[in-house]
Amino acid sequence: MKKEYEIKAKDFVRAGKASIGVQSILKNIGFQQDIIRRICICAYESEMNVVMHGADGTLSLNVGDKEIVLEVKDCGKGIEDIEMALKEGYSTASEEHRDMGFGAGMGLPNIKKNSDNFEITSQKGNGTHLKMVFRVNGNRE
Amino acid sequence: MNNVEEKDNNYHYVRIDEKLCNGCVLCMKACPTQAIRVLDDGVAHIQGTCIECGNCIRACPRGAITSVTAGKDALKMSKYHIVPVTSALYAQFGEDVMPNDILLAMRKAFDFVYDQSYTQELFNVATGLYINEQRSKDDAHWPLISPMCPVVNRLIAFRFPSLLKHILPFATPLEIVCREGKKWLSKKYECNPEDIKVFSVTACPAQMMAFNETLSGEISRIDGAIGINEIYDLIKSDIHEVQEPDEHIVLNYLSGVGIGWAMSGGEVAGLDVGRHLAVSGIKTTIRYLQSMEMGLLKDIDYVELRACREGCIGGAFSVTDKYAAKNSLNKLIRIFGSEKRVNFSYAKKLYREGWFDTTRKLVPLSSKSSHLSIHEGIKRAEDIETLLKTLPRKECGVCGCPDCRTFAEDVVDGMTSIDKCIFMRH
Repeated sequence: MKKEYEIKAKDFVRAGKASIGVQSILKNIGFQQDIIRRICICAYESEMNVVMHGADGTLSLNVGDKEIVLEVKDCGKGIEDIEMALKEGYSTASEEHRDMGFGAGMGLPNIKKNSDNFEITSQKGNGTHLKMVFRVNGNRE
Repeated sequence: MNNVEEKDNNYHYVRIDEKLCNGCVLCMKACPTQAIRVLDDGVAHIQGTCIECGNCIRACPRGAITSVTAGKDALKMSKYHIVPVTSALYAQFGEDVMPNDILLAMRKAFDFVYDQSYTQELFNVATGLYINEQRSKDDAHWPLISPMCPVVNRLIAFRFPSLLKHILPFATPLEIVCREGKKWLSKKYECNPEDIKVFSVTACPAQMMAFNETLSGEISRIDGAIGINEIYDLIKSDIHEVQEPDEHIVLNYLSGVGIGWAMSGGEVAGLDVGRHLAVSGIKTTIRYLQSMEMGLLKDIDYVELRACREGCIGGAFSVTDKYAAKNSLNKLIRIFGSEKRVNFSYAKKLYREGWFDTTRKLVPLSSKSSHLSIHEGIKRAEDIETLLKTLPRKECGVCGCPDCRTFAEDVVDGMTSIDKCIFMRH
């Protein structure tokens, strides 16, 4: 099944709604706790990246019984140096966002750690596209 | 009503009186787990997993909803009984009535009355020791969640099972008081600990359920709960009758620290170690649990979650308004002082000896789709989303379901039919 959520940039009041939607769908289907936890962490980190850095974007969820694919696209300013962005502790978050508790530079590294397959494409000025794949192992516990 | 025997996990204590219920949507809308439906017979029924939060009891304007307790008559069937109380009770009689007066007044109806505040302070010390111990471990689960609120425990077991391992694995002060009280009285009367019954006087409708969570036969379980509303008059009429304190009142050391526990923030106020948060109210609690499941709040050591707004004084069996109760407790805290009365090294010794070990057994509660395979689960979710797109999203509840999403789920599960929606009929 597929489900798409819109993400509004700079909207910190509604931020996190898409991830909560993903969380409740996966729970209702009955996936194992561990895969739900990993997907939720990735969904939240990438949703917050869009809210903080991007212009508006979308989060789409594609659930199959072999794998679950999460894609997050935005039309923001893009990432200049992807290799740097994947390093723990590296962050381009503003002072203001750091004050809100974001910008520890763990977002992308966390996504990489928690997904089974992770692709990132980004061009300066052309937005960012994240694709995260999670393999479904076995049935429910 | 007497109801103290063992129940399975799907048993619930909330009762809806069919004669008083007029089938309005208020309780159904108030339920945080979407467990209520108004069926064809025109009255509300509990159909899903009830977490005993008491929201429906508070929401019903007709007083049609109650929660089963052991009732005050339950005391008659036990030879010896002991009644643990918390400061939620002290908050009920106005700011000028002191805890001692209340406990003395209770002596007429109850054999032994046991104040929990000393145990609560010991619990604070042990929590601090545990936090420090866990910090050196790599596989610790942060933040730890307070095990105090039985509604929160059940909510986690039902909706957030991945967070069960975050719950502090300690016996609650109530469990400890049960265990120690039974040991002490059985020695005194030279009988089996099982012959001593423990009935907690409480503002909490979920406390009847708390004994389901402990292993059967263990002496740390309570034998039933009595609502504060059920014995309020009884206590009130006896307050200020001159009585001398005696050994039947177990009042170790009353402190402001223990008194604070009945209010939101009171438990963590007594915790000297780490960073904490205190959250109250079921909706906010759910939001925080969602965040924790997304891996947030890891920099916090301990989270005190209470289903009732303002904490236990906001419980559905509370007689006094929670804000008036809060005022009374704050005054008591000023009188009794906020310094700790427990001896740290004694608390540490008890901790090392396993005094805080629990027999509580929290297991994930099954959801509506747990009997399905992943493939069937995905199909079900697809059907629900497709149907949901055609529904009006007025969230009116006329169909007998609390909201359009739940209605879509029920239609797909074959529990109701699409023509129950008045918008789809036209």
